[in-house]
Amino acid sequence: MTLSSDQATESLKEIDRTERRSAQAYRYAYSSPFFVMWGVIWVAGYGGSDLYPHDAGSIWMALTVLGFLGSVAIGRQRARIGQQHPGMNRYASWRFLASFITMGCFVMATFALFGHAGWRQQAAFVPLLIAMFYTLVGLWAGLRFVITGIAVAVLTMGGFFFLPAHFLLWMAAVGGGALILAGLWMKKI
Amino acid sequence: MNQPDNLIHQPVRLKIMAALKALPFGGQIEFVRLKALTDATEGNLGAHIQTLEQAGYVAVEKDFAANRPRTRVALTRQGLRAFEDYVAYLRDIIQDKP
Repeated sequence: MTLSSDQATESLKEIDRTERRSAQAYRYAYSSPFFVMWGVIWVAGYGGSDLYPHDAGSIWMALTVLGFLGSVAIGRQRARIGQQHPGMNRYASWRFLASFITMGCFVMATFALFGHAGWRQQAAFVPLLIAMFYTLVGLWAGLRFVITGIAVAVLTMGGFFFLPAHFLLWMAAVGGGALILAGLWMKKI
Repeated sequence: MNQPDNLIHQPVRLKIMAALKALPFGGQIEFVRLKALTDATEGNLGAHIQTLEQAGYVAVEKDFAANRPRTRVALTRQGLRAFEDYVAYLRDIIQDKP
């Protein structure tokens, strides 16, 4: 049996289509537990900051360290079950750490440049930054990331302007909830 | 290669191999996800996976997750080579087009 040029072209197109769908499904499934974990951290962080505003800095510091350790643990667990992300290797922990430090430096530099920011501005800025990151990643990796990014940005801005008195609670319930839902959605086939 | 690899050439098996090839080598896809990616029925997909497994192109792992049976499939090195050869064969046909 030999194939015609048209049949070969059609087969290559089918291979390309299936590979793209599979890679996208893989990226969604891979990122799912990260979203759920960070959603829970947002619930705890914003909820804790609302209950204990004077300890907000310490709460977020502790949760960020927990989030870093959790991200490393999830990455290692995924590697064990054969879902290693391309680009992940034994330096993954350092890459996670470098990412956290880079983001921390960017946030601090921004606050330093634009003067003193109030607690609400600070509490809204980081989620907006993360929302932008998801949206940009999504432009290359898949629509679900874009939708998650836009949803987080809209919810953050909505809470900031329309619920200023309960902004932290809003971010705990709706912001954290949105990330958890996004994580469950990513897992869905 | 003058002849296509008939094991891979079959449309559902071609999709299975392409879906597995998109993962980092050694990565596994669960049966239910593979079913969605190939648009195949459960029985049909199971039969084609078995054919590929017998040829040594895929490795199948069965276990339980949350008290439910789970089947995961991964591409073997032999399967990867066969798939790459098949893709090269297709490209050769297009390049040789008069």
